[in-house]
Amino acid sequence: MVVDLDKCTGCQACVVACQAENNIPINTKDYFLQRRAYEWIRIERYWEGEYPNVKARFMPVLCQHCENAPCEPVCPVYATYHNEEGLNVQVYNRCVGTRYCINNCPYQVRMFNYWHPNWPHRMENQLNPDVTVRSRGITEKCTFCVQRIRRGEIQVEARAGQRLDDNRIAAGNYDPACVQACPTSALMFGDLNEPNTAIKPYFDDVNNYPGHHEHERETRGYRLLEEMNTRPSVIYLKKVDQYPLADKGAH
Amino acid sequence: MKLTRRNFLAWAGIAATGAIACDLFDDELRVQSPVDIPEDLVSGRDNWYATYDASVPGGQGILVRVMEGRAKKVRGNPRFPTNQGKQSPAADAILQSLYHPDRIAGPMLRNGPRGAGQFRPISWEEALNRFNAAVAERGDRMLLITEPRPGAFARICDSFADAFGGRHLAFDTVDDSAYRHAVKDIMGSDGQPYHDIANAETLVSFGSDFLSTWGNPTAYSVAYGKFRSGHRGRHVHFDPRYSMTAANADKWLPIAPGAEGYAALALAWTLIEMGLAEGDVARLTNGQGAAALNAFRPDAVAGALQIPDAALDGATVAQFFAELASKLAHGGLAMGGGGAAGAYSNGRFNASAALALNYLLGNVGQPGGLLPAPDTPIPGGIDARPAPLSDWQGVASDIAAGATRLVIVHNADPVYGLPARVGLADALSNEAVAIISASPFIDETTAMADLLIPDRAALESWGDDLPDPMPGHTVYAVQQPVVNPLSDLDPRSFPDVLLNAAADLGQGASMPADSHEALIRSNIEDELGADFTEALQNGGWWNENSAGSAPPPASGLLANVAALAAPAAANGTGEFQLLPYPHHTVLDGRNAHLPWAQSTPDPITTVVWQTWVDINEQQGRRMGLREGDVVQITGPNGSITALVYLNPGMPPGIAAVPMGGGRRSGSAYATDRDARESSNVMSILAAAQVDGSGGLAWSGNRCSITPAGDSMAVAKLEGDYTSREIGEHSAELVFKSVSEEGSH
Ligand code: SF4
Ligand code: SF4
Repeated sequence: MVVDLDKCTGCQACVVACQAENNIPINTKDYFLQRRAYEWIRIERYWEGEYPNVKARFMPVLCQHCENAPCEPVCPVYATYHNEEGLNVQVYNRCVGTRYCINNCPYQVRMFNYWHPNWPHRMENQLNPDVTVRSRGITEKCTFCVQRIRRGEIQVEARAGQRLDDNRIAAGNYDPACVQACPTSALMFGDLNEPNTAIKPYFDDVNNYPGHHEHERETRGYRLLEEMNTRPSVIYLKKVDQYPLADKGAH
Repeated sequence: MKLTRRNFLAWAGIAATGAIACDLFDDELRVQSPVDIPEDLVSGRDNWYATYDASVPGGQGILVRVMEGRAKKVRGNPRFPTNQGKQSPAADAILQSLYHPDRIAGPMLRNGPRGAGQFRPISWEEALNRFNAAVAERGDRMLLITEPRPGAFARICDSFADAFGGRHLAFDTVDDSAYRHAVKDIMGSDGQPYHDIANAETLVSFGSDFLSTWGNPTAYSVAYGKFRSGHRGRHVHFDPRYSMTAANADKWLPIAPGAEGYAALALAWTLIEMGLAEGDVARLTNGQGAAALNAFRPDAVAGALQIPDAALDGATVAQFFAELASKLAHGGLAMGGGGAAGAYSNGRFNASAALALNYLLGNVGQPGGLLPAPDTPIPGGIDARPAPLSDWQGVASDIAAGATRLVIVHNADPVYGLPARVGLADALSNEAVAIISASPFIDETTAMADLLIPDRAALESWGDDLPDPMPGHTVYAVQQPVVNPLSDLDPRSFPDVLLNAAADLGQGASMPADSHEALIRSNIEDELGADFTEALQNGGWWNENSAGSAPPPASGLLANVAALAAPAAANGTGEFQLLPYPHHTVLDGRNAHLPWAQSTPDPITTVVWQTWVDINEQQGRRMGLREGDVVQITGPNGSITALVYLNPGMPPGIAAVPMGGGRRSGSAYATDRDARESSNVMSILAAAQVDGSGGLAWSGNRCSITPAGDSMAVAKLEGDYTSREIGEHSAELVFKSVSEEGSH
C-alpha cells in the first residue's frame, strides 16, 4: 500500500469504511476514554507550529504488514504469522490473548478485545458474513481486507473458468475497503508480485536508497520507523509544502 | 476498487448471472487448515445494487452490497458523476439507520402530554383514517415541512399541499440562503455552480468548509485529490475559523469574521491594478477599472481583514495579495462565500464577491473554473430548496395566529435546528395545532407529534434527486429500494401515503402520479427518454454534454458587488465570536442517532460523542482553562455548556462549537449524554437575518465564556501527551518542500 500524505485531508472515510467492512464493534465514548477504541486504520493528527503559522497534519496509520514483523516471533502460539502473499495475518482461533504482539508492535495498530462484542438488536444484520466476529480475549488488526482478496480471486476464477493460484489476482480486481472509500485517492493498493502495479516504483525507490540514503530518493517515499528495519509493506509519501513554516516546532 | 466502466460491467455481469462463489465448481472442497485464517474462506453470493444517498451534503451515488436480503456494505458508485466511486466519511452509517434499534416500528398515537414522547402503537388502518380526517378537516391550514429534496418527492409534496390549500416548506438547519441568492443574482440559476477544482492551478477560497460539509464535500475531495496530483495546484484559504479546509490548504490566512468579501474584492482590485485580469474588466467595472474598487485596496482593507502580520511571511498585506494575484492569473479559481461565510449580516456580499472574482478571472464555464448549473431535466426541479429564516419566523406567527392548524413533518427537525428565539417550539406546544410526523426516528419535532406514520428507511425506498451542485452537467439521481423492511418493522412510504390520501379525499386528479415509483419511472421514461432498468442499474441518468450556461455578467458587476459591502453586524456581546459549524459526520444533528457518525473522530480535534468548544490554546491558558473544563457559553439568547478543547490553530477570540449535540428526544445514541458534554449551539443564536436574503445569520453572534466550575474527560482519539510524529523523521522532515514543478 502507498499512502500519499499530500492528498490525505483527514476526512475519516477510510476509518468508517473499515469499521463497516470488518465487523468492528461500535466505539462507545467509554472505549475512547479508556483508550481502547478499535480502529484498524486511524488518522493521527499532528500539530506543527503555533497560531497563526500552524499546520494540522494528518497521517493514516494501519497495520504495516512488515516483512520483518516484530509481532510475529513473540507469539507463543503462532497466532500471527506471514502468509505466502506477504500478509501479516492473525489466526483468531489460535490467539490466546497474551498481548505480546501488541507490546511488540511499534506502530500501535494491534487491538485487544477487552469486551465481548455487542451489536444492538437489528444492527447485527449489517455484519459482513465474510469476516469473523472476534470474541473477547483475542487480538485483532488490519488484514488488508484479506476476505476481499479471496472473493476477488473467486470471482476472477469464475470468470476465467479456471483456478488461479493465490498470487495471481491482477491489480484492480480488488481494493481494501479503506482504499476504495478514500475520496482523494490518498490510499493506493497493489500486489507487489505483479510487475506493473502503480505502487511498485515507490517501493523500488525506497528499497534502493535505504536508511541514511533517504535524501537521494527520487520520490517522496519513506517508511514509518524505517530505522527499525521492520520493512513495512506500506510506503508513505511526504507532504508537499508550498508555504513551509519558518519555525517548525512539532508537538 | 479501481473499476473502469468496463471491468465494472464485467463484475456486475458476474453477479447478475449468479457466479457461484465456492469451489464445488471444480468438484472439490477447500478444507481449511488450522493455520489459515477464517477469512480465507468466503462463501455466499452477494449482489451490489446501485442507489442513492441524499442524506449527506451534496448527495452521493452508492452501491449497496446485499446478501440474503440484508444490506452489508456501502461503497461509492464508480459511475456516479459527482462522487465517482468514492464516499463521504460516514457513508456506511446509512446501514445503521436501516438496522437501527430505535426505528419507529409502525404507526403510533400520542398518549401523554405533548412533547413527553409517550406513544402507543395503532394499526395502519386507524393511522390513515386519522391522517385523512386531519387533512380533510384542516388541509387549508396545513403546513408540510420536509427535508429539501427536489424531484418527484418535492412534486408530490407540493401537489398535495396545493390540492388542499396548504403550504410546503423545506427545512435545513444550515441556512445557505445568502449564497443561493447571490448565485441567482449573478448567474441566474437556482442550482449552485460547480467549482472545477481538479483542473485549476491555483485555488483561493473564502470561509466555506468545502472539504468537510459545504457544497458536495465528497465530490470536491475527489477533485482535491486530482488537484494535488501531477501539476500539484496551490490552495490559499481565508477563514476566521481553523476549519478542516483551513488545515488542508497550503496557506491559511485567518481573517476577521465576516471579512471574506473584503478579501475577495481586495484580490479583485489587485488583479485589475496589476493588469492580470482575464475577464472583461471594462464591462465588470463600468469602464472604471481598478478605481471601481478603490475602497478595497489591500492596504485600505487591511484593518478590516485583521490578518496577523506573522501569517504573511514577512510581506505586507499588499505584497501578499500581489503575489497571490500573480499566481491566480493562470488557472485561478475562487471558491466559497457560502456556508459560514454567507451566514453574517453581510453574507450576500461575501458570497457575491467570491463568485464575481471568477468573472474577473475569466474562468466561468471554462475547465478549471466556475461551471454554471445546468438546466433542470425534470419538472418539480429546484423549487424545493430550504426556506430561509424569514419563512420560519412567519410560520411561528401563523401558528400563533391560528392560520396553521395542521403540521405534517418528514425528516426535518426545525424544533431542534432553529434558534429558540424563533419560537417554533412554543408555537407547536399549542394543542390547537395537530402535528403528524412521518420521520422514521424520534427527534425533537417528532417527539411533539400526535400521530406517527413512519416512512421507510432510505435503503427501503424509491427516490430521486437533482444533486446540488451538479458536476458541470445534468445529473438525475435515482434511489431504488435495495432491501425490504425487517419483519418486526412496518413502515410505509410517505410519498405514497400522501398520494393515497389525496385519492381517498377526491384529489387524486391533482396529483402527478399514482405512486412515487410511477412518478420516478415517468420522469425517466417520459421526461428524459431513458430506459428505466438502465437508469436503476447506473444509479441515475446523466448527460455529460449538457453543460450549463450563465448569462454574461451584468455590466458593472464588480461595482454592484462593491455596493453591497458592509461590515458584519454582531449580535449579542462578549469577548468571543461564536462560530457554530456543522459537525463533520453528525452534520446538523440529523446523524446524532448513528453510532458511526458519533464515534468518528472530528478531523481536527479527534473528539468523539461530545460537544466541545475550540478555543485558542494560548488564550485559553491565559483564562486559566484546561482541556475538559466545562464552560458556560452565553450567546445572544441564553447559554449552553460545552467542554473546552484548547486548539493551537484556532484564532484568539473565536469560540467554535460543532452543531449536532444536545438532542433530548429519541435514540440513546443521541441523548444519553448530559448538558455539560452535549448541547445544541443553535438554540442560543439570535434570530437575526442576513441582509437581503432572509437567511439565518448563524455566524454573526458574540458570546462570553465563563468556567462552570466542573470538568470532564474529553473522549478523543489523540493522546494526552504532546505527540511527535512516529518515525525516525521528526514532523518537520516528514513534510517535504517541493518546487513549483510538481511532485512525484
Ligand atoms: S486494508 Fe482493510 S482491514 Fe486494513 S485498514 Fe484498510 S479497510 Fe481496514
Ligand atoms: S479516506 Fe483518504 S483522505 Fe480521508 S482520512 Fe482516509 S486516507 Fe485520508
